[in-house]
Amino acid sequence: MSRGPSIRAFITGLGVVTPAGVGLDAQVRALLESSVEHRPLEPLWLFEPGVGGPRPAGQVPRELPLPGPADWPRTHRLALAAAEQAMAGAELPPDAVVLGVTTGGMPLSEELLLAGVKDPQRYRLHGSGTVAERVARAVGCRGPALTVSTACSSAGVALKVALELIRAGRCQRVLAGGADALCRLTYFGFSLLKLVDPRGTRPLDRERAGMSVSEGAAMLLLHAAETPHPGVIAELLGGGLSCDAHHPTAPHPEGLGAFLAMQAALSDAGLGPRRIDYVNLHGTGTRDNDAAEALAVRDLFDDRLPPVSSTKGVFGHPLAAAGAVEAVVCLAALTRDLLPANVGLTEPDPELGLTPLREPRRAELHAVMSNSFGFGGNNAALVLGAVRNTAGQAVHLSGPGGRLKAPPGPTACLRVVGSACLTGAGHTRETWERFAGGQRCAGLLPDADVVRELPPRVCRRQKRLPRLVLALGQALCPDAEAGPRRIFFGTGFGPLSETHDFLHELFSDPQRLASPIDFVGSVHNAPAGQLAMRLGARGANLTASVGDSSFEAALLMAELLALDVEERETPRARELLVLGADEHHPVLSPLFDPCGGEPADGGGALWLRPEADCAPGQAGPSVRLRACRLAPERPEDVAAGLAALVAELGGPAALGERYGALLVDLPAGHRQGGERWRAFVQAAAFPGPVVDVRPLLGEFASASAVAAVLAARLVAGGELPAGLGAGRGPVALGGRGVLLVGLGAHLTAVDFSP
Amino acid sequence: MDELRAELKRRIVETLDLRDVDPDSIPDDAPLFGEGLGLDSIDVLELVVMLEKDYGIRIDNKELGRRVMTSVASLADYIAENRRSSGAPG
Repeated sequence: MSRGPSIRAFITGLGVVTPAGVGLDAQVRALLESSVEHRPLEPLWLFEPGVGGPRPAGQVPRELPLPGPADWPRTHRLALAAAEQAMAGAELPPDAVVLGVTTGGMPLSEELLLAGVKDPQRYRLHGSGTVAERVARAVGCRGPALTVSTACSSAGVALKVALELIRAGRCQRVLAGGADALCRLTYFGFSLLKLVDPRGTRPLDRERAGMSVSEGAAMLLLHAAETPHPGVIAELLGGGLSCDAHHPTAPHPEGLGAFLAMQAALSDAGLGPRRIDYVNLHGTGTRDNDAAEALAVRDLFDDRLPPVSSTKGVFGHPLAAAGAVEAVVCLAALTRDLLPANVGLTEPDPELGLTPLREPRRAELHAVMSNSFGFGGNNAALVLGAVRNTAGQAVHLSGPGGRLKAPPGPTACLRVVGSACLTGAGHTRETWERFAGGQRCAGLLPDADVVRELPPRVCRRQKRLPRLVLALGQALCPDAEAGPRRIFFGTGFGPLSETHDFLHELFSDPQRLASPIDFVGSVHNAPAGQLAMRLGARGANLTASVGDSSFEAALLMAELLALDVEERETPRARELLVLGADEHHPVLSPLFDPCGGEPADGGGALWLRPEADCAPGQAGPSVRLRACRLAPERPEDVAAGLAALVAELGGPAALGERYGALLVDLPAGHRQGGERWRAFVQAAAFPGPVVDVRPLLGEFASASAVAAVLAARLVAGGELPAGLGAGRGPVALGGRGVLLVGLGAHLTAVDFSP
Repeated sequence: MDELRAELKRRIVETLDLRDVDPDSIPDDAPLFGEGLGLDSIDVLELVVMLEKDYGIRIDNKELGRRVMTSVASLADYIAENRRSSGAPG
């Protein structure tokens, strides 16, 4: 890697809730005592199983009291249970929360949809991003509260993002992990894909026939320090991400993506393969995953395979939480000298060429690896290390609210080398022309116009959101081979058409039969996975779901990972595609998105190149996220929150000096009758034009992605066109930049400088 | 049987959103997956659900699926056989 991380991420707290119970001891007991006959998997009881009868599934015991209000979705309550536990010994709140979540409020939304409830207020916790937001507010974190939604690798990716927040010096303490509650969407979805073993999962077994879907939440509290101090549990040494860019669900047959992620994780941790004492496999128990993963593991470790096991035979597969639950398993291994057994195994599949641990064993472990792979070909691998004999060592933890003085390594400037957007007005040119004239672009571009440049075969099986994303990719990179290798996608609500159609069909069919294609397409990261396949992009592939700030969250993750590329890689491997998109769905959008209003959707994409410095006058503007914090929840505190945002940006005078115009993305759901707008205008005291973008672009969670594309174009053009100047005529930016301010649940600021 | 084959071709094109394929142009014996229509494992599963919903045919394991869905002809044969044996109207 191109930087030597001097700031390390030590784990100082952990929280976990699984079908085996709450806390580390319960998990260790399950790891030691489970067998194929007696394990925490039970026939489904959380909801009606359908005509096939209940399959074995992992369910958090019903007698376990979960914290949080009774009207919260199960996911949020599981997450809160893990968060409270992880924070129990901590004196200070975390600076950020990063969670892997896929279905978010779906367990509750399904009940409400089945009951025909139409009140949007009841669905307010539907969005995947609300889990991290609720957790952050509950533990006193001012944000950011970030959510990664890359299907079954979500929590692994979230932990990698958290690690980079620490290393970049942006945060002292990060609470990170994942949460997913079992719901109908996933239970029936995986059944319809024939990926559920009716006998309960048997990872790596010759007769394995699929997974057991499960649920749970797990979180680690990461602490920035240069050296360990007494009381730390272990260290997060590194993480690696990759994308198969091969198929929406099936892994690359040679395990290429898995190999790349593990290789990157080792390199990131600065360890050779011989230093790994144990690998906790993704090991879902499906024929394809276990075969591809075994190939990758054998390739990586060659003739010296460390002990390996999948612990999904104990806990099942808790989907987005898997990477965090299994990170906790790794902590159990490191701190209790325990090699966990591959429960569920009767006869190892000889074709895999692995020798999984048949029984738990005692061994002193120094460094272990954990794998998490997901739909969309999104892969993550983590390396965790033991911290021993820390007594008496120097403590280098910073004080309350402190920030590390200097960034530990080189920071990258992200240069905009291309941009594209889509709105109701049309593609980039049409949108720009209307926007520059101060005219509304809001609406729904007809499907035929969205896909006009795409070959029909590319759009097959794709509904509205993936089409928007593929169209943005096509506009930006018509030559797929020359496109960026890393993709950072933000979406507030994900593929709503696929989600709706799957649930609608599922609920209307007495046999619970519904389209597997819709299920596969319903995961938030499916569009970015499709784009990766189209571009052959095998680098990191992240999907962020943070409500109205999903695009900003994707940009933050891109900044954090900008330099996370092997030095031997080509300059093009460093380039990034950062985009945001949301679709309008006539049934679900009015329920899930509190903004309401006239139907509108679209998205925007930036092609970014990391450069050593951002000297002005180079080709194209640069982009940087300058602020991302949670807005105060109580209306009476919002003005103070906005003043704090302006202060974080250097105060009103600095804003006037640096920026020729402000673009403000204020979602309708947060307007409070104009209160928030007035409070911001007052706090910013900005002398130049302040453009209210939502009335122009429409109400959808990724409107700020479109605004970002327009901001980059404004800066490149050096002036604010007459149509946007509120009657002042064209306003010259005078060599200054444009600041895109987001005023939703997160208060954000994205800098575009010439 | 010809009628069932023609109907299946239409249903396949519809179910799998093969807009650029004329149903009548699909040869009875051409392979449906891989080289032929370029379909993949998710398409197989989509057809499995369609067959269960529209024809009451259950295909529960991969081997059977692979055998039955070799071509339109093999699919039609399997449906005709199993409809007969179950006494369902054909």
